[in-house]
Amino acid sequence: MSKSHLHRLSRRRFLADAGMGFTGLALGAMLQREGHARSGVWTPPNGKPHFSPKAKNVIWLFMNGGVSHMESFDPKPMLTKYGGKAISETPFADAQDPKKLALERLVVPDANGNQRNELYPLQVGFKKHGQSGIEVSDWFPHTAKHVDKLAIVRSMWTTDSNHGAQTQFHSGRHRNDGEFPTLGAWVHYGLGSLNDNLPQFISLGKREYWNKRDGHYLGPAHDAVPLRIDPNHPLDFNQPGSPFAPESQAIGRNLIQDLNALRGTEYPKDTTMAARIASYELAFRMQQSVPDIVDFSKESASTKASYGLDQAHSKDFGMQLLAARRFVEEGVRFVQIQYGGGGAGAWDAHGSLRANHAKNALAVDQPVAGLLEDLEQRGLLDETLVVFATEFGRTPGSQGADGRDHHIFGFSVWMAGGGLKGGIVHGSTDEIGFHAVENRHYVTDIHATILRQLGLDSHALEVPGRKRLDIDHGDPITQIIS
Amino acid sequence: MRCYDTLLGLSGIRVRLRCNLLLAAGLLSLVTNVVAADYLTEIKPLLRERCYACHGALKQKGGLRVDTVEAMRQSKVIVPGDPMASIMIERVSTGELDDRMPPEHEGEPLTPEEVDWLTSWIIADAPAPEDEQLEADPEKHWAFQPIARPPVPPHPNAWVRNPIDAFIAQGHEAKELQPQGEASRLILLRRLSFDLLGLPPTAKAIERCQTDPSPDWYDALVARLLDDPQHGERWARHWMDIWRYSDWWGLNQQLRNSQKHIWHWRDWIVESLNEDAPYDEMVRQMLAADELYPTELSKLRATGFLARNYFIFNRTQWMDETVEHVSKAFLGLTMNCAKCHDHKYDPIEHSDYYRLRAFFEPYHVRTDRIPGEPDLAKDGIPRAFDALLDQPTYRYIRGEEKQPDKSTVMDPGVPELLSFKELEVVPVSLPAEAFQPERRAWVMETLLSTAEELLQAAGSKWDVAVAEANLESIQARVAATRASWTGNGDEAREPAIHAERQLGLVKAQRELALGENSKDENHLKKAKQSLKKAEEKCSAPITAEDTFTPIHGARWSATRFLDSTKDDPPLPFPSQSSGRRSALADWITDRRHPLTARVAVNHLWARHFGKPLVDDVFDFGRNGSPPTHPELLDWLAVELMDHGWSMKHVHRLMVSSATYRMRSSTVGAATQLLRDPDNRHWWRREPLRLESQAVRDTVLTLSGTLDVSMGGPPVPTNQQASSSRRSLYFFHSNNERNLFLTIFDEARVTDCYRREQSVVPQQALALTNSKLILDAAPKIAAELMSGETLSDETFVRKAFQRLLGFTPSAEEVSKSCQALTEWRSLPETTVEAACGHFVWALINHNDFVTLR
Repeated sequence: MSKSHLHRLSRRRFLADAGMGFTGLALGAMLQREGHARSGVWTPPNGKPHFSPKAKNVIWLFMNGGVSHMESFDPKPMLTKYGGKAISETPFADAQDPKKLALERLVVPDANGNQRNELYPLQVGFKKHGQSGIEVSDWFPHTAKHVDKLAIVRSMWTTDSNHGAQTQFHSGRHRNDGEFPTLGAWVHYGLGSLNDNLPQFISLGKREYWNKRDGHYLGPAHDAVPLRIDPNHPLDFNQPGSPFAPESQAIGRNLIQDLNALRGTEYPKDTTMAARIASYELAFRMQQSVPDIVDFSKESASTKASYGLDQAHSKDFGMQLLAARRFVEEGVRFVQIQYGGGGAGAWDAHGSLRANHAKNALAVDQPVAGLLEDLEQRGLLDETLVVFATEFGRTPGSQGADGRDHHIFGFSVWMAGGGLKGGIVHGSTDEIGFHAVENRHYVTDIHATILRQLGLDSHALEVPGRKRLDIDHGDPITQIIS
Repeated sequence: MRCYDTLLGLSGIRVRLRCNLLLAAGLLSLVTNVVAADYLTEIKPLLRERCYACHGALKQKGGLRVDTVEAMRQSKVIVPGDPMASIMIERVSTGELDDRMPPEHEGEPLTPEEVDWLTSWIIADAPAPEDEQLEADPEKHWAFQPIARPPVPPHPNAWVRNPIDAFIAQGHEAKELQPQGEASRLILLRRLSFDLLGLPPTAKAIERCQTDPSPDWYDALVARLLDDPQHGERWARHWMDIWRYSDWWGLNQQLRNSQKHIWHWRDWIVESLNEDAPYDEMVRQMLAADELYPTELSKLRATGFLARNYFIFNRTQWMDETVEHVSKAFLGLTMNCAKCHDHKYDPIEHSDYYRLRAFFEPYHVRTDRIPGEPDLAKDGIPRAFDALLDQPTYRYIRGEEKQPDKSTVMDPGVPELLSFKELEVVPVSLPAEAFQPERRAWVMETLLSTAEELLQAAGSKWDVAVAEANLESIQARVAATRASWTGNGDEAREPAIHAERQLGLVKAQRELALGENSKDENHLKKAKQSLKKAEEKCSAPITAEDTFTPIHGARWSATRFLDSTKDDPPLPFPSQSSGRRSALADWITDRRHPLTARVAVNHLWARHFGKPLVDDVFDFGRNGSPPTHPELLDWLAVELMDHGWSMKHVHRLMVSSATYRMRSSTVGAATQLLRDPDNRHWWRREPLRLESQAVRDTVLTLSGTLDVSMGGPPVPTNQQASSSRRSLYFFHSNNERNLFLTIFDEARVTDCYRREQSVVPQQALALTNSKLILDAAPKIAAELMSGETLSDETFVRKAFQRLLGFTPSAEEVSKSCQALTEWRSLPETTVEAACGHFVWALINHNDFVTLR
């Protein structure tokens, strides 16, 4: 057994817990995978996919605050046509039928997250792009060039009309239900590592949504490792906190591993100790590999420019995306990037929507285009799923003079690569972008789609005593899978 | 098809497995009929999970049970050999929602594969095992039976030290397991120190234990450790995990969860454990001290347990957490599974969930003033009190807050199964000091003395004037508030109003005077306006509508259930309490309760021995795992109750057992490993990874820098790096956790019935690179040398003993000495520095964070 393999097994504690020989264990894991482990024998996943995967990695781009679907990827000319009219006076009055609004689950009434009755005209133009001719807003000119790579889902819905929906998009559960593992944690739990020189689940960007963790009942080992794209301090405890000469460290490291190995005489077959020895090796490798990844000096000027690194407004996000590509290249499984963390989130345009969205789009559009282009050029897009998501859309009606409120009944996300179809629009909202009407999808359908592409069956990942509901698992959106 | 051929040689299970793989790929429908699903391993578990809740021992809806093949045949839901005629197949595969089993909202439909299994089994004539028995009556479930003291098994065996061992030895004999020998004194000392204090042994203790000739050395050591005040801190942290201790959190400065000053509850836990307060009394105080001891501030701290569940925005979430965790922590019941429907495994009805909620429905949270601190923002005691005596509880249809069933008000009550006595809810008339906390002598005294001190300290003319007016205003308000108690308030009212107006006037005068000095036009203008207003107010006659600001002895923790942007209308402090929570506490702590003592001793066992007797520590119900040693569990539960619920008694028993004193090594235990690889029968000690707090506290102890002061407000996040206090005292909430501690599986504040013991590379980084460790290592080395010049070998041995708790082998010594030599050979590395590096290496040794 290779050391990295040993580490993986041990970290999951399954040798210790299952107490079986490897054969029994492999069988147990297989049974578990197929949902056959009904006889009470349960073992954690073994790090292998349940069925043949189409994708290996995920780059998860999350737009905090709520991007207006109508002004990004789901144009609604009717808003302009009926701009200034109360919804009840338009042919779309039926959208506010209380029955259709019932799926909303409030934590508490709030000044935001309310019905906005007066339709607000579109604040930006749209053009058709690519062979598919899909319309994309003029705020995303660079992403638009890659529209033939995107599978746009225009029929999302969620239930929390406040920013708890940020967590909900990651975990699939409403804030009132408690705390649950996020998608990245499930992927990490199910598959773990492609590369043991790096953490397998990485979080970039300011994590400011209400729930700052991933693993929850799966354990903190499945929390994303937060990294900063800062060559001086990319990883917590990455450098000695007080001066410590490298030669001295080297002598010490060798001694640690020697002494641990000698302890094996008294404690043979101690899988925890084996795991600890392996974890020290990985930690050492991470100290080298993480700074290497965030050192962009070997990237060409044109690559850097394609990610928008040469422009102040897109530099920060561009660096995160370039790092994400480098991580994926090295085999990191799941890179979770939050854009616009802090407070309710950068896109939360209750007022001045036009200025707000123009500015945020400027920050993300070039880097996103750069990432898609770069992944494709390197042949990585086939096996890398890029997700562009947000917690909810924004109201068709205006809030105040020039804003839009939170809107849970219909919004858009897109995905690209990873064995999905490109240049496709799936699902739709009604004519004013109010309700998802055709092929409606709750947020966990995105999870299910991703898990399917990664070769995971989320039912098979269930942990005893932690019953998951149908809606937690979601259903893969098969229509966008190629 | 080739794939199918090659599979025939494998076991039935594997064939089934592969079949489904193929099915999933949509390649094959033929093979499903080739091998029938096995009843015991496949069909029965499927039915148990999906059907038994309504058609088994728990319930027999429509008079139907499917928990034996015989029952299914008799009721004709299956017709062996004829799936088409089997109603079961029809009902589980129908597309008609009204007919489908399991019904909508009761369970997901069966998957096509599962329907295929059932079909294949019926085609094969639905073979049944011999002597299949109906599922046992849920009321006969072990955990619901009264606890009786089981006889201690006879124990001719010399290994046995106390009754715990007699029960364990039974298992050894039955399985022919030879227990491992006793661990070395050094290891025992280390084990006990961490277990009882959460700290490593001192150098003195190490020396003493190695040389103590007395046969009682161990018992004396245990007694000493249990008396040490650090014992309370150690075990408080365990109970804080279970009871979900959390400092407040919210968004930025807005408090949304838990309470400010909740640390008073933590201090109450530490003190109670050190005093060996009875467990049942602790539970009673946490649930209902406000009804049982309404005027004892010190005991009111206990209700921080309830104050912690405060959630500013949503009552249902607050109540849900309370119901779930009261049930899990004290009773090992998953009441939360009955929030939306009847419990699927235990005899707990949907309405039982809401009956339990009803006990808590009236309570809210307030903060009481404490002697010496007039400012509630700085200190005070967060506590529970009944505010809403008539608030009805309704059952939520399918658990949905929007769908209360208003036809019936849910009265407080407990599940039928556990109603071993009549529940008496008697409203409690509170003493005036409880609902008018300003009557507590210190409230007024503190305000007055603070105002006097302010006056004493005032320097400038204006400051003196304001302080004087302030003192007069407080004196008048105190007098008026006191007068209001007797109903003769009118006389004192006017002076109080006047004094307050006067204070406003003096303040405005001061502002103007200061404004004139500063020459800021705008400021000056405003100050003039304010002064004018204050003067007008002062000269206006006092009317009947005018009021003074009464003195309050406590402040309600305002909620925002109605609107997230403003506080809900304030709640009064009623003169009565509902008596509901004391009734609940009385029921939970009744010695006839079959769960309470069992759950408590299981928690104690889990922490002493590394794994519990009942694996699911918060689920003693039918879906949880049964105890590995049911008699031992019951014996311990009775022992706890018979000794006045003294936890120290049970600690002493557990750590004094031979079971506790065994080695954790598997050397020479090949047979045991084969016979009982999971150590279910305790033939060896389970090694443990130290909890986050113990790791950090150990480093500080060894370097001689641990600050052992006890209690008080938590150390704020930005001061933790430079703090030497025990980790227990670090600010710890859902949002703010110490980075170093988090890496070692810090307690989740949302629920943490057992700590994780992960091994991840971030731990290696924290131990190799953190400033905490790097700065401590040379200090520890200096402590070890204590000013003497030691040979490398002596130093190495001492360091091993002190840091890792064992004496190194010759090879370990030689490797270590070799490294010391290498370090010294580096340029500019002193002897001291080399020793520091060596200590650093030992901190990174696996056994540093392991309790052998």
